[in-house]
Amino acid sequence: MLDNKISFTLNGKKVEFIGDPLRRLIDTLREDFGLTGVKEGCGEGECGACSVIKDGKLVTSCIIPMGSVAGSDIWTIEGIRDTELGAIIIEAFADGGAVQCGFCIPGMVLASYVLLSEKTNPSELEIREAISGNICRCTGYDLIVESIRLADSRRRGV
Amino acid sequence: MSASCYIPENLTEALEIRKKVHAIPLAGGTDLMVQAKRGIGINPVFPAPIMIITNLEELKGIRVEEDGTLVIGALTTSAEIASDERVFYHIRKAASLMGAVSLRNSATIGGNIANASPKGDLPQPLILLDAEVVLSSIDGERSMKVDDFITGAKKTALKDDEIIKEIRVRPVKATHLFYHKIGTRRANAISKLSLSILADVEDGIVKDFRASSGAAGNKVKRDRNVEMILIGKHIEELPSLVEEFTSAWDGILSPHAMPKYRRESTRRMLSYFLERIAAGAEPGIIE
Ligand SMILES: Cc1cc2nc3c(=O)[nH]c(=O)nc-3n(C[C@H](O)[C@H](O)[C@H](O)COP(=O)(O)OP(=O)(O)OC[C@H]3O[C@@H](n4cnc5c(N)ncnc54)[C@H](O)[C@@H]3O)c2cc1C
Ligand code: FES
Ligand code: FES
Repeated sequence: MLDNKISFTLNGKKVEFIGDPLRRLIDTLREDFGLTGVKEGCGEGECGACSVIKDGKLVTSCIIPMGSVAGSDIWTIEGIRDTELGAIIIEAFADGGAVQCGFCIPGMVLASYVLLSEKTNPSELEIREAISGNICRCTGYDLIVESIRLADSRRRGV
Repeated sequence: MSASCYIPENLTEALEIRKKVHAIPLAGGTDLMVQAKRGIGINPVFPAPIMIITNLEELKGIRVEEDGTLVIGALTTSAEIASDERVFYHIRKAASLMGAVSLRNSATIGGNIANASPKGDLPQPLILLDAEVVLSSIDGERSMKVDDFITGAKKTALKDDEIIKEIRVRPVKATHLFYHKIGTRRANAISKLSLSILADVEDGIVKDFRASSGAAGNKVKRDRNVEMILIGKHIEELPSLVEEFTSAWDGILSPHAMPKYRRESTRRMLSYFLERIAAGAEPGIIE
């Protein structure tokens, strides 16, 4: 089996992966790049704990092989937290009491980031839809939805 | 370690690899990666060589040809289909209800068809619309109806040197549309039942009528003979045909795949649609 060289962008920096193209993106991020904000819940695309942003879209990194990542632009919570919108969302989550155990939160923040990048003043339905693939076992979602609202109004300065 | 894994750079290279070693195409990977899962930090293993085709540009995107035929590249994702107004209602709606956001960003239409799961959501509307798959190999192309391509549960007519290139849907005239899916839960819901219906009513006459049921047996259920019960009839006659039609429809559903209460839901939705048309419902989506 030949090791493949796969180039992609990770949190804004060009990086290279050399290895089995079937290696899961989540394992590469956590083990090879030390980005442990990416969490593994179900490992089957169901819970959203492993969410990352790939070419501007939310995806679950536990079911993406490295071979699919070639040439992509990948963002994890470690990169998003330093962006202006990312920082606003994280602060709103803290202020809005959206965080309990915290396991789902990186995925939730990334889902919120994609939503708020695409839409201003989203409806409650749109917010719930945007986070529908992110399972939270602690909060019952209402405080998360409220916090996303709060983030949206803060970044609009209202 | 995996048998081997290829990342072809273009379609021709992919078809050569497919011909030579019959490598299994991996598109979005949302079915394959779950099947091959071995655990945290352990690379998935497949019984045969794999080729990752996720980024083959030639198989991406949606276009409309001069005669109105809609062409959807095999690697087009459910999210892309759901957000494209040019796509026929039933396909768009089915794509928009697949899984949750992130699943729809990875899952492809080619993968959904090739996977041929009776619970897969896209074959159902595609079969309603008589859509065709175009199959490519290094030796040429052939096409066939999706309904003929999917031969049973997890079974297709795909040859080991072929890949699905695109899906073609010729324009279908319709005045009244209906789609409904009953899933397992809110997000990432796999179908327990899905139903598409369309009717083309002109001057009170039912010019065309079609329905297709998903998750209803080993494959999508559709039957032109049953549809013929309604075709050519005046909408005023529909109420008197509901019983005959819905019973005939019930007869084509598999009692094993669909328990009685779910077959009853199908019957109720069909009756509702027909009653609305008989009552002179405005053209559009029946909700
Ligand atoms: C959490 C979760 C939720 C889901 N929810 C739904 C749902 O609501 N509805 C639904 O229908 N499905 C659902 N699925 C199943 C799956 O996402 C779909 O079947 C999807 O469309 C598969 O596409 P893919 O590109 O990911 O396929 P892959 O996993 O890449 O491939 C699937 C099969 O198709 C073959 N294949 C792929 N592309 C081609 C091609 N171009 N030519 C020939 N063969 C090809 C592969 O070799 C493989 O056999 C869900 C899956 C997960 C993990
Ligand atoms: S760990 Fe990836 S979706 Fe659950
Ligand atoms: S805060 Fe615990 S899972 Fe969401």
